[in-house]
Amino acid sequence: MTKILKSTLAALLAAAATTALAQAEIKIGACQPITGRFAFAGGQLNAGLGDYIAYANEQGLVKGKKLTYIFEDTGYDTEKAVATFKKMMAQQHPVIMYGESTGQGKAIAPELNAKYKVMYGSTSFSSELADPKTHPYSFISGPTYSDQFGILLQYIAKGATKGKRPKVAFFYSDTEFGKDPIAWAKKRAGELGIDVVAEVVAKVGAVDVTTEVLNLKKAQPDFVIFQGFVMAPIPEVIRAARDHGLKTTFMSTFWSMDKGIIEKLGEDAEGYMGVNPYGYYYEDTPAMAAMRKYNERVHPAEARYRPNSYIQGWFTGMVFVEALRRTVAAGKPVNGDNLMAALSTIKDWDTGGITGKVTFVNNKAAVGRVYRANVAKGIFEPASDWIYLK
Amino acid sequence: MLIGNFKETYADDEALFRTPASRAGLAVLLAAALVFPFVASDYLLYLADLVGIFAIAALGLNILTGYTGQISLGHAAFVGVGAYATAIAATRLGLPFWLSVPAGGLVACLAGAVVGLPSLRIKGLYLAIATLAAQVIFEWVFTNWTGVTGGIRGLNVEPAGLFGFAFDSDRRVYFLVFGLLALLAYGAANLFRTRVGRAFIAVRDRDISAELMGIDLFRTKIMAFMISSFYAGIAGGLWVYFARVVTPESFPLSLSIQFLAMIIVGGLGTIKGTLFGAVFVTLVPEGLRAVTQAATRLSPDAMSWLAPMKEIVFGAMIVGFLVFEPHGLAEIWSRVRRFFWLWPFPK
Repeated sequence: MTKILKSTLAALLAAAATTALAQAEIKIGACQPITGRFAFAGGQLNAGLGDYIAYANEQGLVKGKKLTYIFEDTGYDTEKAVATFKKMMAQQHPVIMYGESTGQGKAIAPELNAKYKVMYGSTSFSSELADPKTHPYSFISGPTYSDQFGILLQYIAKGATKGKRPKVAFFYSDTEFGKDPIAWAKKRAGELGIDVVAEVVAKVGAVDVTTEVLNLKKAQPDFVIFQGFVMAPIPEVIRAARDHGLKTTFMSTFWSMDKGIIEKLGEDAEGYMGVNPYGYYYEDTPAMAAMRKYNERVHPAEARYRPNSYIQGWFTGMVFVEALRRTVAAGKPVNGDNLMAALSTIKDWDTGGITGKVTFVNNKAAVGRVYRANVAKGIFEPASDWIYLK
Repeated sequence: MLIGNFKETYADDEALFRTPASRAGLAVLLAAALVFPFVASDYLLYLADLVGIFAIAALGLNILTGYTGQISLGHAAFVGVGAYATAIAATRLGLPFWLSVPAGGLVACLAGAVVGLPSLRIKGLYLAIATLAAQVIFEWVFTNWTGVTGGIRGLNVEPAGLFGFAFDSDRRVYFLVFGLLALLAYGAANLFRTRVGRAFIAVRDRDISAELMGIDLFRTKIMAFMISSFYAGIAGGLWVYFARVVTPESFPLSLSIQFLAMIIVGGLGTIKGTLFGAVFVTLVPEGLRAVTQAATRLSPDAMSWLAPMKEIVFGAMIVGFLVFEPHGLAEIWSRVRRFFWLWPFPK
């Protein structure tokens, strides 16, 4: 009898131990665009997110829990990404997922809302995903493209001389990525007393941009804002514009703000500006120093410089961990609903210089900073303080 | 060993499945297809739905390219036309899915008739370029006719419903997709036993002789385009209820090429081959991806050189098919079957 009792007790204890262990482990899954068209950023996004989760484990940031990061390559293909999402959910049951594109966010939304109900972050800055009504489980790791335009326009309006309306041109690609903020930005420009004097649409990777540049020349804008490109045709446009003697300030949003573009532009990078939701790897802030130290220790070969996409991944990891910390501290079960509720409590959160003070409203943090290229040093330097959109 | 197949009545002679063995095989296949959704995981069901939808579209392309000999590089665009027509019928007109999906098929069918018009005057590579133009034009329309297509953001669609039953999961959509696939595959198999279908084959084999035999070339080619696009449109309609969102980026040229790969790998001018091809082209890259993923666990750096490998392996497999078995998977299947029929005797 005692033998049976003992063995039952032992079995019960073992079962309790395994459930405790299961609860102590929190899985974070990611569908990463490591190959394919988005590979230029995918590998770094994956490294940044994975590194921050490893860093959070080392520092014990989520008390009593071990975070496990699982990722798969999707090749920047929406169907493969959705398949990967479903596979991970079925096999690993993560409570947080990371997605590779705006397309995936839209495709997974019906089932994310009705069935999976996990916290969902992604590479995307699409305004469409930052709508708690249609995408209650998604968030944007920073400002949307519209917000980024808003930050640039606010900067332009502030610097304008009295009595003279600044003239702006929008130069964008014929893609979802390119068109996303345009309608909103036109409205916003009007409110700020800025004239949108031209809208030029070009293909991603275009080589011959003569017509487009002539259109700009006709409109004579003070500023041109690019959207929907990463590299080409931005250098081509700037070069051709300089050849035509155009004295315009060229500006970009996140994806065209890595220091690689300064190398590509060379002398023509003089005066190139743009908005970055995050700081740069080389900046002298406590959080960046910690990131550099971690990289020197773990990835000595890559510790010299990490591009912006790495920082985006790292910051997304920070948001995941912060939401987890708040949920665990409140003693609530870790699930999508509680994590999203915790996200909306994030207010004036100090990230130590990864970005400005973070406040999540409508599942996004509308903060960013305007940077200007320093050609001699080959880096971007701040042209403004952190700008917050209301 | 099967020594002969004697037909004693005309009905026997006309049957699609002629031997007890093939009928039994069909029954087993259908039973497996019915059991599958109840045992498969979400992931497998998602892939199965994808295969089913692609198979319907590829059937359409095989009718046009494999049976009628008219090459098309714009098939994905017809799938897109069907998808948009279905989505618009469902959201703007409020039609239920059993009307909106056929509506998508019919609109795609009309689009196919228009695109097919030049096929009377141009053939081969020239037709390929003409259909490529259709692909580009339709893609542009999807993106820029914002008032109707919703522009770059596309359209969101509620799940299909029937008598209060909502097809809101991959498991439920599976029955919709595979029910229609069975119906459409049966229809396609029968098509080539009718006058119209035989006219398609005659046009493929030699259009001049076909015309001399009294086949109206123009009508036949347009008909092939229309039926083919109808299949594409139905696939598009199902896609809408499967993905529940339709955007211009869902139907790129690469998808058209993928459809061509399906019918070439599967076997041009065979129904069975189309199904094999759809399975192969959808699942092999997924399998290769699983292999690279497993390899990453052994060595984290493997990803950087294994990831491009899977594209190369996939490409090599397709070239291998073209070289070693130009008749595709369908022919390999027949050969395996013949081997077992005659076993233990050599052929």
